[in-house]
Amino acid sequence: MRRHRREWPQEDRERYQGRSGHHYEEPHSSYSWRGSRGHRSRHDVVTPPLAEHTTAGSPMAESVDFKTYVDQACRAAEEFVNIYYETMDKRRRALTRLYLDKATLIWNGNVVTGLDALTNFFEMLPSSEFQVNMLDCQPVHEQATQSQTTVLVVTSGTVKFDGNKQHYFNQNFLLTAQSGPTNTVWKIASDCFRFQDWASS
Amino acid sequence: ILEYRNGGSTPQGKKANGDSFQRNFGNGRLHKHGGCELLPSHLQEDDENIEMRNVYEGPQVRQQFSTLQPPNRSIELYNECQDRIRCKREMEKKMQEQDLGCWFKITIPHGVKYDRTWLINSIRSHCRVPFTPVDFHYAKYRAQFFVQDAATASALKDVSYKVCSEENRKISIFVSPSEVPYSVKNKLKPEHMEQLKLTMKKRYNISKQALNLQKLRFDSDLMDCKVDIILNQRSCMAATLQIIEKNFPEPKLLSLNLRNNKLYRLDGLSDITEKAPNVKILNLSKNELKSTWELGKVRGLKLEELWLKGNPLCSTFPDKSSYISAILDCFPKLLRLDGQRLTTPFLIEVEALGIIKPCKESYRGSESLKSLVLQFLLQYYLIYDYGDRQGLLNAYHDEACFSLTIPFYSKDPDVISFWKYFKEIRNIKKLKDPDLRAQLLKYTKYEIVNSLSVLPKTQHDLNSCVVDLCIQTERMLCFSVNGVFKELEARSQGCVRAFTRTFILTSGNNCSLRIVNDELIVRNASPREIQSAFYISMPIPFSSSLPTISQRQQEMVQTFPSQFGMDLKWSQNYLQDNEWNSIMADQVFAELQTGGKFPKKGYKQI
Repeated sequence: MRRHRREWPQEDRERYQGRSGHHYEEPHSSYSWRGSRGHRSRHDVVTPPLAEHTTAGSPMAESVDFKTYVDQACRAAEEFVNIYYETMDKRRRALTRLYLDKATLIWNGNVVTGLDALTNFFEMLPSSEFQVNMLDCQPVHEQATQSQTTVLVVTSGTVKFDGNKQHYFNQNFLLTAQSGPTNTVWKIASDCFRFQDWASS
Repeated sequence: ILEYRNGGSTPQGKKANGDSFQRNFGNGRLHKHGGCELLPSHLQEDDENIEMRNVYEGPQVRQQFSTLQPPNRSIELYNECQDRIRCKREMEKKMQEQDLGCWFKITIPHGVKYDRTWLINSIRSHCRVPFTPVDFHYAKYRAQFFVQDAATASALKDVSYKVCSEENRKISIFVSPSEVPYSVKNKLKPEHMEQLKLTMKKRYNISKQALNLQKLRFDSDLMDCKVDIILNQRSCMAATLQIIEKNFPEPKLLSLNLRNNKLYRLDGLSDITEKAPNVKILNLSKNELKSTWELGKVRGLKLEELWLKGNPLCSTFPDKSSYISAILDCFPKLLRLDGQRLTTPFLIEVEALGIIKPCKESYRGSESLKSLVLQFLLQYYLIYDYGDRQGLLNAYHDEACFSLTIPFYSKDPDVISFWKYFKEIRNIKKLKDPDLRAQLLKYTKYEIVNSLSVLPKTQHDLNSCVVDLCIQTERMLCFSVNGVFKELEARSQGCVRAFTRTFILTSGNNCSLRIVNDELIVRNASPREIQSAFYISMPIPFSSSLPTISQRQQEMVQTFPSQFGMDLKWSQNYLQDNEWNSIMADQVFAELQTGGKFPKKGYKQI
């Protein structure tokens, strides 16, 4: 029997990635959950409605709940990352639509708050070419968010600005869910971006 | 012969007095005036006490007596002497009954929410009459105590809706007449008090400032004198505390042993926060305490050591750590429970910093926020690097999450050096199986700490760290730390990694910060990163087998608390537990010496 994926040597992992890359890295796959396509903007990060938080339950029921949160978080994170970086690279002007009104961006230590400031910032930022090769996410405990469903998304990869030198970057987001009856729209509450070699740039 | 207007006075008493009056003065002229009688003026000066007690009687009653004159002087003089003696005896009896005077019960609804000392002091500051609360206790969620006279009760009633709680709610106070409180009603007789005092003195160890009241009821001395001290009774406990307050003044009592006294309620003991506030060691083992609710009554004590073994409450917890957690909630500074040293108290006093509140001016809040994050990181990494990582249990919320990722690039030369992390790596870009995705996300503090304990031993360089504060709300603090660490395992000795760790902290009910989310990215450090880190030179290690504390060690112990608000004793214990590991301790010491501050340029905040 084939050893588990994570025990595969590096080459195998890449091959797997290459294969599965087709499924998940194509931009249009993110539309697969949309109900009616009509008027909804291409730029929103949308997932199916959130699972109800059940309070009652045996320990078994609770662990199922947690897994549901994990699945939900992963789905939101993947959907989000696809749309975000594509928008950042190809439709920069629409990027601020993904942020909450009061969202904050910390870009290599520089703080940018509010949609106006964000709009200006993204306009000023040179054109980008992102390549994400690492993604991790966690559901944020409701005690911290006061029952506002939130997901922590962490990414890492490489980026080139204006075709210049390639930088390795780390980025983390806090996404909050705005629930509707037929779907959930995720918006960025905070965005923290840093080059790995920030000290030398 | 005196009688006081007493809500509960019996007609019999009045009658007896009336008779003796008539006997003494042989005339029926004098009759009781509204049940109150005073001694004739020529007997009054003998007893100042009587003067005082007359305070409540109206002036008109007093005037009545000035007209009294005995009919026949010579015989009366003899009788007067007799009367004086008899009066004194009756007076004493009356004084005892006098204590039973006019009592009022003061009730504060939802009083259990407020810290007792704060509550009483707040009421005192608004009350025009000074008062001493007697028999303070909680009945369900109400706080109740007694005061002795109508004037005080009335003054307290006026304080209602004047005291504001921290949530800006006005506290109401209800007053009603009541029976005599237990501790007064069953007050110990003076000779019993005396015997109790002697017994307690015998049981006091002056060098340790420890009072041993184990199995007090069956103390041989007390039993010989037929003094029954049942500590469950309010009056007995009150007497004991009173003796402690009066007779053990300096040096103050540090340790109190109440083992094996069948205590099922600690209401009586709650006065200890006023009578013996310096008690740090309390032994309540082998009693009948059924829940931690009882412990809450002595919450005002800053206990360092507590014994609870042998109480029914101990078996109400599913496991040891939830038991310890619950006790720590009551006594956050506790160091030892049931003789066992507790893992490091990982609590940052949020209230003191007052920052996890909606911040209108985030700029002003940032200094204290920086300091909070700094404290947190120093405490966290102190344990992470130099201690048993199990000690981080208290840092995490029960339902916390942790995951670890390592970004691999095909060009990476040294992938195999991460083999120790392979099992834990969670990269959902590559990992598609939902079961595995859930499995690799560590959930609950136990799983997290177990997982952390397996990761290689590290040494973080906090001096070169950079922190980005992402979000700060009333309940949540999110920040990212970027820095480097050394791996200290055999194979990868000296291997320097770079990390980015995102923490989300939440403030709990008892004002402590706990981690709810923890995400760690580990990668190889670039040459430049390695160069700029760990620039503190390693001092010459000294032998760690020294039995006594050296000068250096003393300095270290003293530096800890002043800079980081950690308890002196805790830091000493902590260092001792780690056997003063010389190299590590010196590293920490050196870092602390340089202020352990983040480089200003790298520190950004909202």
